[in-house]
Amino acid sequence: MYKYLNVLICFCLVSVLPSLVSAEGFTNVGRKASLAEIAAWDIDVRADFKGLPKGAGSVSQGQKIWEAKCASCHGVFGESPEVFTPLVGGTTAADVERGRAAGLNAATENARTTIMKLTTVSTLWDYIHRAMPFDAPKSLSVNEVYASTAYLLHLADLVPADFTLSNDTIASVQQRLPNRLGANTAHGMLDVKGTPDVNSKACEKNCVIDEKSLVVLPAAINGRNGNMADQNRRYGSVRGVDTSRYK
Amino acid sequence: MSNSRSYGRIQSAPENFISDELIAEINADGLNDARRNFLRRSFAAAAGIAASGLAAENAIAAADHPGLDGDPAILNLPKHSTSLGNPVAHTPYGMPSRHESNLQRRESPGLTKKRESGVAFTPLQGLFGIITPSGLHFERHHAGWHDIDPAIHRLMINGLVANAKVYTVGDLMRLPSVSRMHFIECGANTAMDWGGPAVPSVQYTHGMLSCSEFTGVPLSLLLEDCGIDKSKAKFVLAEGADGASLTRTIPIERALDDVLVAWGMNGEMLRPENGYPLRLVVPGAQGVSWVKWLRRIEVGDTPYATREESTQYIDLMPDGSVRQYSLIQECKSVITTPSGGQLLMDKGFYNITGLAWSGRGKITRVDVSVDGGRNWKTARLESPVLSKCLTRFNIDWQWDGKPAILQSRAIDETGYVQPRMQELRAVRGTRSVFHNNAIQSWRVESSGEVFNVQIS
Repeated sequence: MYKYLNVLICFCLVSVLPSLVSAEGFTNVGRKASLAEIAAWDIDVRADFKGLPKGAGSVSQGQKIWEAKCASCHGVFGESPEVFTPLVGGTTAADVERGRAAGLNAATENARTTIMKLTTVSTLWDYIHRAMPFDAPKSLSVNEVYASTAYLLHLADLVPADFTLSNDTIASVQQRLPNRLGANTAHGMLDVKGTPDVNSKACEKNCVIDEKSLVVLPAAINGRNGNMADQNRRYGSVRGVDTSRYK
Repeated sequence: MSNSRSYGRIQSAPENFISDELIAEINADGLNDARRNFLRRSFAAAAGIAASGLAAENAIAAADHPGLDGDPAILNLPKHSTSLGNPVAHTPYGMPSRHESNLQRRESPGLTKKRESGVAFTPLQGLFGIITPSGLHFERHHAGWHDIDPAIHRLMINGLVANAKVYTVGDLMRLPSVSRMHFIECGANTAMDWGGPAVPSVQYTHGMLSCSEFTGVPLSLLLEDCGIDKSKAKFVLAEGADGASLTRTIPIERALDDVLVAWGMNGEMLRPENGYPLRLVVPGAQGVSWVKWLRRIEVGDTPYATREESTQYIDLMPDGSVRQYSLIQECKSVITTPSGGQLLMDKGFYNITGLAWSGRGKITRVDVSVDGGRNWKTARLESPVLSKCLTRFNIDWQWDGKPAILQSRAIDETGYVQPRMQELRAVRGTRSVFHNNAIQSWRVESSGEVFNVQIS
């Protein structure tokens, strides 16, 4: 999808921008960023590990961090669906071999865990580093991020109990991710000019419908969102239904 | 609510002559002939009710007009016509009428366990036109929201640029700004209905949708100001200043097109819940790409594989693949009145009204069916019809009191037709979560009650 990229950039920058930016530029607007400032904020880690800081943490170190700071939401084994969707589970040794998580197939009904979906291990490290723990983001040191990531990978049966995750060993983990070959990035949802995957036709008269297929919102769940009478105006063209009776 | 109800009772006709009990009965069991007749009698007797039961000045006013036949809201001058009102600047930042408190952002129970990473839905069922009031703009956060002091907020641009720069909010506001109206829709909007009807009203089926006028500086100008490396730049990463420091990759062709670094929303600054003081505006893209509390843009040569584009906001396809980096919210529409959880009080004329939008451009046509998709008529589009913006549609309808299934179907300027649910499922499966843009069906029962339904 990006093969016309250079043409587009040239068009935008050469044809459009000069007409918008004054000849002198935006003088005295903004300033140069210092190296220390960039280092403080430029924390992203890409799939090719650009941006990954040096450091290391072991599975056993990670277990202590996990049980103190992670398990209350994610479960002692990273399996808990109580607060967030489960992190680990649903993958097999065959998946690790193949690089595709068979559990993501539509024919199966198991929960879809983070480890099942994960295609790049950098994503895991990056997110724990920037956003975890949920109530104290960015409070883990770099080595603590390595350690807690190592423990999570161990819970997912991807690394042994004596493993130490580091900037040197992380690439080897990428090669064991159960869904490392599951990414689909060639599709029409990436760009305004992309090709849609669903093509409908606008039938106008006597279109075929199956009346027997009608499915109505089950009464058992109708009252869960509160009373619709209290979520619409009490005047106007319509009212809200008193759905308190569905509770 | 009881205060406003009794206040309303002496003002307007005819619904305020209905007793609370009858309203409850109609809400519970619908409208039948007996209740319709009772409504008519209630209306005729309204003058008497007003004289016998309510505020002293109204009783006195009624007594001044013995034997007169008419609406007491007309015959009995209300207090607002006979007394001095509030002074100017009584409420320096104005608020909606106290009678409008039913329309609020609301959460859907069970959706998320942590409210800081939850969703509050926009009450589309009661809104008019295309602009969402800023206080009703939907909320979705990943680590809660803060009311950030704009004096300490910064935007950094680094990566493949000649000069990595830092801008204050004031710096950005000196630059040539533009104001544009665009919709923003969460990629998870209508997610709960992938498997079947799951929530009662349009607030919960479609309320992760809002539309505002955004004011900001084109990102292209900032990238040029920093000396973007045109030969190497292929993507940018946008990063927020919140606890999650939420990140998304945006292809450089979009970043240089109509993307804005925005501070304004509907003529005022962004609301804190919506990114104050800076957010990215990525027209047509799913909401997660519109990074709130924007602190950094990095120019790079590969996509960044962030959580919110590689394991979330993705499509799990039936073949087990993970469709990543989805950006575009495809053409979609929904009828907002009559819609699920609403009650038609009588048969006769109604204006069916709703919203249509497309992440690929302008809406060119909206069709409406009242028979479950068997026959369609083209609705009227209200101007303005703008690219990547909500478009309001209306169509006349005479309800005969029989069950009806209402649907709308939008077509955008690329010719794309909003699909039926089964067409979407045939490609994406039934266990998908994101990007459900299927035609919505509302079933009007003979009682007047409207239900969320699906029909293929």
